[in-house]
Amino acid sequence: MRRLVFVLLALALAFPALAQTPQRGGHLIVCQPAEPPGLDPTANTAAAIDRVVYSNVFEGLIKVDSEGRFLPGLAERWEVSPDGRVYTFHLRKGVKFHNGEPFDAEVAAWNLRRAMADKTQNPHPEYFRGIAEIQTPDSHTLVLTLKEPDALFIPHMAEGDAVMLPMGAADKAKSHPIGTGPFQFVKWVRGDRVELKRFEGYWDPELPYLDRVTFKFIPDPSAQVAALRAGDIHVIGYIASPESAQELARDKRFKVLNGTTTGEVILSTNNKAKPFDDVRVRRAMAHAIDRKKLIQLAMFGYGTPIGSHWSPSTPYYIDLTGMYPYDPDRAKALLKEAGYPDGFEAVIKLPAPYSYSRRSGEVIADMLAKVGIRLKIEVIEWGQWIDRVFKNKDYQLTVIGHVEPWDIGIYANPNYYFQYDSPRFREAYTKALRARNEEEKARYFGLCQRIIAEDAVNGFLFSAPSLPVMRSEVMGWWRNYPTIALDCTRVWLKR
Amino acid sequence: MTAWLVKRFLTLVGMLWLASVAVFLVLFILPGDPAQVILGINATPETLANVRAELGLDRPPWVQYGDWILGLLQGRSGRSIHYDVPVTELILSRMAVTGPLALLAMVFAVAFSIPLGIYAARHQNRPGDLTVMGFTQLGLATPEFWLGILLMLLFAVRLGWFSAGGFPGWSVSFWGSLKALLLPSLALGLIRAAILTRLTRSSMLEVLREDFVRTARAKGLRERTVIYVHALKNALIPVITILGLQLGQLLAGAIVIENVYYLPGIGRLVFQAIGQRDLPVVREVVLLMAAMIILVNFLVDVVYALVDPRIRLE
Repeated sequence: MRRLVFVLLALALAFPALAQTPQRGGHLIVCQPAEPPGLDPTANTAAAIDRVVYSNVFEGLIKVDSEGRFLPGLAERWEVSPDGRVYTFHLRKGVKFHNGEPFDAEVAAWNLRRAMADKTQNPHPEYFRGIAEIQTPDSHTLVLTLKEPDALFIPHMAEGDAVMLPMGAADKAKSHPIGTGPFQFVKWVRGDRVELKRFEGYWDPELPYLDRVTFKFIPDPSAQVAALRAGDIHVIGYIASPESAQELARDKRFKVLNGTTTGEVILSTNNKAKPFDDVRVRRAMAHAIDRKKLIQLAMFGYGTPIGSHWSPSTPYYIDLTGMYPYDPDRAKALLKEAGYPDGFEAVIKLPAPYSYSRRSGEVIADMLAKVGIRLKIEVIEWGQWIDRVFKNKDYQLTVIGHVEPWDIGIYANPNYYFQYDSPRFREAYTKALRARNEEEKARYFGLCQRIIAEDAVNGFLFSAPSLPVMRSEVMGWWRNYPTIALDCTRVWLKR
Repeated sequence: MTAWLVKRFLTLVGMLWLASVAVFLVLFILPGDPAQVILGINATPETLANVRAELGLDRPPWVQYGDWILGLLQGRSGRSIHYDVPVTELILSRMAVTGPLALLAMVFAVAFSIPLGIYAARHQNRPGDLTVMGFTQLGLATPEFWLGILLMLLFAVRLGWFSAGGFPGWSVSFWGSLKALLLPSLALGLIRAAILTRLTRSSMLEVLREDFVRTARAKGLRERTVIYVHALKNALIPVITILGLQLGQLLAGAIVIENVYYLPGIGRLVFQAIGQRDLPVVREVVLLMAAMIILVNFLVDVVYALVDPRIRLE
């Protein structure tokens, strides 16, 4: 008997999930700082949209889970031909949109054609333009033939840009989203909240657990924490002020999850602006930045150092953080070699709305000053950042988080605001995209990461932490954010 | 009187027209392409062009301006880029928060400042007066957002009597909505009460030295009648001016306090719209703010004349 108790106890400890069966019902109130600009993820890349609707209201053929795995969504399973060009998706049967329209191969084909069209509003038509032919042999089979193999086809089909809309209500998705997800849209009180309720006709009758979910938009970090403490909200989707995460983690009523995200925070560098066109200068900066200390000072210890433009939570990651160890003397030597024995002056432009960027910029300015690079900090408003830094490339340095997963392809575009032009990288990236098996993908995506690290294109700082903060009764919330989503499908409230 | 009204009305129209040109030009010159802000930093140039065309941003500026003004004259309001609804609809729903918030704040301000101002004036340079003046000095020095946060920490986080912010909506819960406005309007009202108390006090002191007050006392009127009927009515004229200006400002949106309490009011609307380059919203809200301030000033002039018969509207 004693042994049995011991075994049971060991089991319960080993599988805490088994010890807790999800409870049905309840109304979850989630706070996220930014209000989405419309609610149609196929018309806009804003992360705030996906955070509300991805996997909650809308689903694509493929879903992403909290570990970054690609799971069946509206496609029950799929096969890829050996040459990597033909994808056969077997669609789930009996799926209905919230307005009653059925989902089948014809609807899926219509959605893909809509994204590829000339007048498309989809921010990423290139995800779909590789499709040469769309066939629907029967009502629940979708066969896509690509012009060339595309290693990122599955990841892209799992993003918000590729969710399925009903033919009859797609145009209204910006203000009244209708999808196939576990929650259906109730209303959007502009400036305040979006309300969702359980969709009774969801294809998985077990899900979701919650009756209602409300997303409340509270931009001010101290107001978010006050709302959590006052009991107005259950979860802060990702906390904007890491210092309050530390404080809340000490309070028994709350829990803080410190996981990974797809966001890479980088010291973006204009590779065509003097003196940053010299790789030695960029390498000197890489040696002059102590990433661990930066994370301590700017993020209160939350975040993971990175060595290239690739998040540790994304497959094929290689750890390159050791390439340029913190070494101010080496940095000074490199600067001398490049012709700057006394250093130089430069301007760093930081976007006002992002506190992680402003704080990191300040810490970096201090670190670079120690090797003779004297930075003048300019804090500018977001619209101006978009215009001056991003569009007109009128900048030397800036700090920003790139949140889209699988976005290393931006280094293949010489007109992108880094102004990085490398035939070697482009070749490696093309090979990675054309890779036919996992081994080739790992090799070439690894090579891509290595090339930009060697060229020290940007200062690769850290992968942003997920940092959701919640009341202790909230269960099943994602620890890691491998895609841009606050998926509430399996979240439940313990009573 | 009629001539004065016509003249005022024409000035009003002229000022509104100037405001419309100014806001259009400023937004046109302002860096930050709305389409790029919408689409984010990874969008393709092709989609960017499609969205620009859809928003009508590829047309020459004078066409865009003409289109906007002609639309407004025909009662057609622009469409919010961000929310995809007519701007008038947004303004109306936000006014349902900001309007009551401003009025409630003014009620608090008046309720505190007039009695305190009178009290201070009647006890000039005595401990009561000094205490009141000390507090108003403190009020003048306090930023309203800070007071807002203090009230929130005390009443919402510590005591749990109120929620820390947000607004349920009048149709959802009338009392809940009123309750949601209490703390922010108290924060706004107390700060404004500080100025109004000082003003009431000094204006009252001045009036109490007037001959007619001495006459009133001499003919044996009760002190209460002297103060509240004879003196107060005269002392209120400058107070009303300031009150009117403050109401105008509050109706234009208490941006900071609306952000602290995340109230979906007009101030937060325009603050957000500027950041997101939601140009139709910014244009029309700014125009409305200008109209409101012009209108309130006009009303203050009229009220002036009603309170003080010596002032004629010429």
